[in-house]
Amino acid sequence: MTDDVVTLQRFFAEVRAGRLTGIRCRECGELTIPPKELCAACGKRAWDTVPLKGDGTISSYTVIRVAPRGHTGETPYAVAVVQLSEGVSLLGRVVEVPLESLRVGLAVRFRPLVVGEQTMVGFGPA
Amino acid sequence: MRRVAVIGVGVTRFGKHDRSSAELFAEAARDAIIDAEIEPRAIQALYYGNVTGGESERQLHMGPLAATILGLPTVPSTRFENACATSHAAFRHAVMEIGAGVSDVVLVGGAERILHVPTDHATEFFAYCSDAAYEQPTGLTFPGVFALIARAHMEKYGTTEEQMAHVAVKNHRHGLHNPKAQFQKEISLETVLKSAYVADPLKLLDCCPFTDGGAAVILASEEVARRHRRPIWVLGTHAATDTMFMHEKRDLARVPATERAAAGAYRQAGRGPGDVDVVELHDCFTIAEIVATEGLGFFEPGTGGMAAEKGWTSVGGKIPVNPSGGLKAKGHPIGATGAAQIAEIVTQLRGEAGPRQVEGARTGLTHTLGGNTATVLVSLFGCD
Repeated sequence: MTDDVVTLQRFFAEVRAGRLTGIRCRECGELTIPPKELCAACGKRAWDTVPLKGDGTISSYTVIRVAPRGHTGETPYAVAVVQLSEGVSLLGRVVEVPLESLRVGLAVRFRPLVVGEQTMVGFGPA
Repeated sequence: MRRVAVIGVGVTRFGKHDRSSAELFAEAARDAIIDAEIEPRAIQALYYGNVTGGESERQLHMGPLAATILGLPTVPSTRFENACATSHAAFRHAVMEIGAGVSDVVLVGGAERILHVPTDHATEFFAYCSDAAYEQPTGLTFPGVFALIARAHMEKYGTTEEQMAHVAVKNHRHGLHNPKAQFQKEISLETVLKSAYVADPLKLLDCCPFTDGGAAVILASEEVARRHRRPIWVLGTHAATDTMFMHEKRDLARVPATERAAAGAYRQAGRGPGDVDVVELHDCFTIAEIVATEGLGFFEPGTGGMAAEKGWTSVGGKIPVNPSGGLKAKGHPIGATGAAQIAEIVTQLRGEAGPRQVEGARTGLTHTLGGNTATVLVSLFGCD
């Protein structure tokens, strides 16, 4: 058992500080994104905190042109699923990449995006 | 488990309404009661589906409200929420209540009212079906979720925007014959392809509309159903869940929950994809229909786009998909959709679908997908 729990609050506090945090199961080696109580692969609860380097490639992307309330002034903007070099993926806003340059397989690098109280995962040029 | 049949169906006109979702549901339920030829007091439970009522109508505790407005204030009532699969999830639990012998007659369905709020609010409320920590802050919308799936499908299998457009054209052609449909007009391939991008590569006419509407079905035990003129039997009903996080989906070009829900429903029914005559499936976006026709086993993974292009999913084709017009043309009141799909399949299997009838249909399937593909239900139906 471990008390080193990565809560959502802690994950995004780390994001604000420029760091990505994964958790790895000591029993089966599964690497995942927190928060998780039990390991979905083996059912155990034995997590180690693992820093993630933040480099990865786009596995899919879209350009949002009709936005929800709160984001309407930001269109068009890109959102992508990025597979990190450690194997796990994260969804994030893509910034500083021309929309027409987006493609599956494009190398990108994590960057924190903080707007007021809101923190999100972002990705920019590698 | 005891056998369960659908003995009554009711659906409101889909589109813009000036009544609350509970009122819309009550109208559909009234029609279902008339169709079932039962006394209202025979109903022993209400399983009610609604998704955005808390946000769009400032209304929770909707089960008892719907029962009260219907005129059955003392019937035990519960509200279900499973994103866009809501009333199909309610249906499965109602089947289990009858199957377990707890009740003999259960009313199940749902309603949604959303067209009275501005589009950006509606888009936000629907996005609440995605994760609040990782996904909503990025501004990911529901068209965005399916755009990620579409891009992955195009990348992996070579599916084209034109193939996706064929789904929209076909479902609008079907919807022409559905007097309850929100859109009863044909659209051309060129019109779809020239419509504006909403979330690349999805365009406006790849997307189903926002819709107000209600739908209801009445389920009965075999003993009660045998007295009905045309019971339609529930052959199988299965639910599957997958990770909520887009970042944990291992292959964005597939929907594993559809594949697992279908496998479970086929197993229960003792049938396979080749036995199905007519399908109502969850075409919230054109790519969703393509991926669903693959996941349900009608076509190999990666070939759903070609099947749409060749017309294999049209009424008169190899496997008629969405004769009602689907979510695309009929409309998608998210709390009502699962029940509305079941109502269409029941109507088809009774042979009462008029100009959109799939001739000789004896086995039907409904498929409803919730949110970011985390919930899928599949049910199979048959007639005597």
